[in-house]
Amino acid sequence: MYALADCNNFFVSCERVFRPDLNGKPVIVLSNNDGCAVARSNEAKALGIKMGVPFFKIRHLVEKHEIIVFSGNMALYGDMSRRVRLTLQEFAPSLEVYSIDEVFLDLHGMPIEDFGKYAREISRICLRNTGIPVSIGISPTKTLAKIASKLCKQYPKLQGGCYMHRPEDIEKVLRKFPVEDVWGIGRRTTPKLYQRGIRTAFDFVKMDEERVRALMGITGVRTHRELRGIPCIKFEDSVVTKQSICVSSSFSKEITDCRDLCSQVANFAAKAAEKLRGQGSVAFEMVVFAMTNRFHENVPQAYKSILVPFVEPTGEQRTIVGAAVAALRELYDARMSYKKAGVVITRLEQRNQITGSLFEDSEAAKRESRVSYLIDSINQQYGHGSIRIGVQGDGSIHKLSEHRSPHYTTLWSDIPTASI
Amino acid sequence: MIPYEIEETLPAENWMVGDVKAGFPSPAEDVHEKLDLIKLLVRNPASTFFFRIDGVSMVDAAMDEGDIIIVDRSMEPFNGCMAVCYIDGGYTVKRVEIHGKELHLLPANESNVSYKPIIVTPDNQFMVWGLVTYVIKKV
Repeated sequence: MYALADCNNFFVSCERVFRPDLNGKPVIVLSNNDGCAVARSNEAKALGIKMGVPFFKIRHLVEKHEIIVFSGNMALYGDMSRRVRLTLQEFAPSLEVYSIDEVFLDLHGMPIEDFGKYAREISRICLRNTGIPVSIGISPTKTLAKIASKLCKQYPKLQGGCYMHRPEDIEKVLRKFPVEDVWGIGRRTTPKLYQRGIRTAFDFVKMDEERVRALMGITGVRTHRELRGIPCIKFEDSVVTKQSICVSSSFSKEITDCRDLCSQVANFAAKAAEKLRGQGSVAFEMVVFAMTNRFHENVPQAYKSILVPFVEPTGEQRTIVGAAVAALRELYDARMSYKKAGVVITRLEQRNQITGSLFEDSEAAKRESRVSYLIDSINQQYGHGSIRIGVQGDGSIHKLSEHRSPHYTTLWSDIPTASI
Repeated sequence: MIPYEIEETLPAENWMVGDVKAGFPSPAEDVHEKLDLIKLLVRNPASTFFFRIDGVSMVDAAMDEGDIIIVDRSMEPFNGCMAVCYIDGGYTVKRVEIHGKELHLLPANESNVSYKPIIVTPDNQFMVWGLVTYVIKKV
C-alpha cells in the first residue's frame, strides 16, 4: 500500500496557522514578485479566483470581496513543509518528497489493521503538530493514492483520510473522476483522449492497453496499469539531484543602471552556486539572461541570453558569480530598462564522478574550493548572505513582496508575540 | 573548517592530528559531545514553536515581558495547563481551567488585581494553540 499526504491549499494553510482569524475567509498567496495567485483558500476558489491568474486581473474581486492577500513567504512555507515531513516520518519507514506540499509514504510491511483509521490518524496528528490540514489517500498504487487524497478534500466526512482499495469502490470513483486530473495525464494528451470520447478515468481504464501505448507511449501504459491497481511507478525515496538550477526574479522597479543589474545577477548566481554545491554537483554550463517588460508598449524591448561554458566543470562561488557578471556586462544595453533577469546553471554532474585530475591537479582549484567551503560555512552559521562577494552589493533582491507575513518560525525577530 | 597546516620537516609518524602539533596527544581528542540546548528544550521539533511575551499578567508564573516561551502543539490540553491561546484576533498566555461547562483563562499576577480571569464564551473565537513547556529569560 502507498499513501499520499497532500497539504490542503498549502501556502494559505501556512499563513492561517499563525492567523487563525483567517479561517473561513477568502485568502490568496501571490507568486514571486506578487505576480499571480498561486494558492487559494476554498473561499477564494468559490469566488472564482483561478490558479495562476495575474494579480492585476483580480484586483477588483479582491476589493469587492475583501480577499486577504499575502506575498509568498518561502521561508515560512519551507519550514512548515519540513515540520509536516518530520511528522509523517513517524508513520512510515520511507518517504518520497514529491513537492513542497506532497509526500508519498511506502506502507509495505507495516502491521496496519485498518488503513482507513490509519489515514485519519496521520491527518489528525499532522494537523495537531503543525496546524496544517493534510489529506491522506491510501491505495495499492501511487496514482490511485493521489485520487484517494483528492476525495478527502471533496468529502469532509472522511476526516482527512481515505482508504480506497476494493475494485468496486475504485470503479465507482473513477467513473466520476475527470481523466485530465489523473496524475501523469498531461495537458497535451487530454485533447487526444477527449477526441476519442475518453472523459473519465474509468473510460481511460477501459481502453485497450495497446491503444494506450500507441497514443501515449510507455508512460501512458504505466498510468493505465496503476489505475488498475498494478504498481508501476517507482518509489523514489532517495533525494533526486536536479539537472539544472534556475534562480531568477522580476524586479519591483525596472533597472537601467549596469551596476545595479550586475549586483542582482550576482545574487542570483551566488544563490544558484550555493544550491549546486548543496547537492554535491558541479556544472559545465551557465545561461545568463535579462529582459525588458514586454507589457510596456512604445519602449525599446530586449530579451538577451548568453551561454557561458566552463573550461572545467565548477561549483565554485567566485568562478560562477564572476562569470555571470561578465556575461551580464556583455549583454547589457544602456538604452533598456530591465524588468527581469536570471541565471540557469545546467549540465550538472556529481562532483565525485568527475575525473580526479581535473580538480586535484591545480593549487588554484584547491584554493577556490576552500573559499567556497568557507562561504558556505559562514552563511550556514550566521544566515544566508552574511558573507558576500563585493559585486553582490547588500545582497538583497529587488522584488516586490508588499504583503509578506513575518518569518514566524525562522527569524528570532519575527516570532509571534503573546500579549498577556 | 580550515585544514591545519602541518610542518613539513617532521617525519610522517610524528604527525599529530589535532590542535597539538607535537608532544603528548590530548586524551580528550575523541570526545566530540557538546551540550545541546535544543535537545534539552525541544522534545518534538515538528510541533515546537517560539513566542515572545509582551505584558505582565503572568509574572507569578515566571513569565516576564520580553521572555521567549517554548510552545509545543503536540501535547493535548488538560485542565490547568499553561497554554498559548488564540482569542478574538490575538495571542495570550494563560492557565486554562475547566469549570463545569465554562473555560476560564487565569492570569498569574497577585500584586495587580486588575487582571481578572477571562471566561470564554461561544461568542469568542477561541482555540488552544499550544502548551507552554519552557520559559527562556535573561537574568
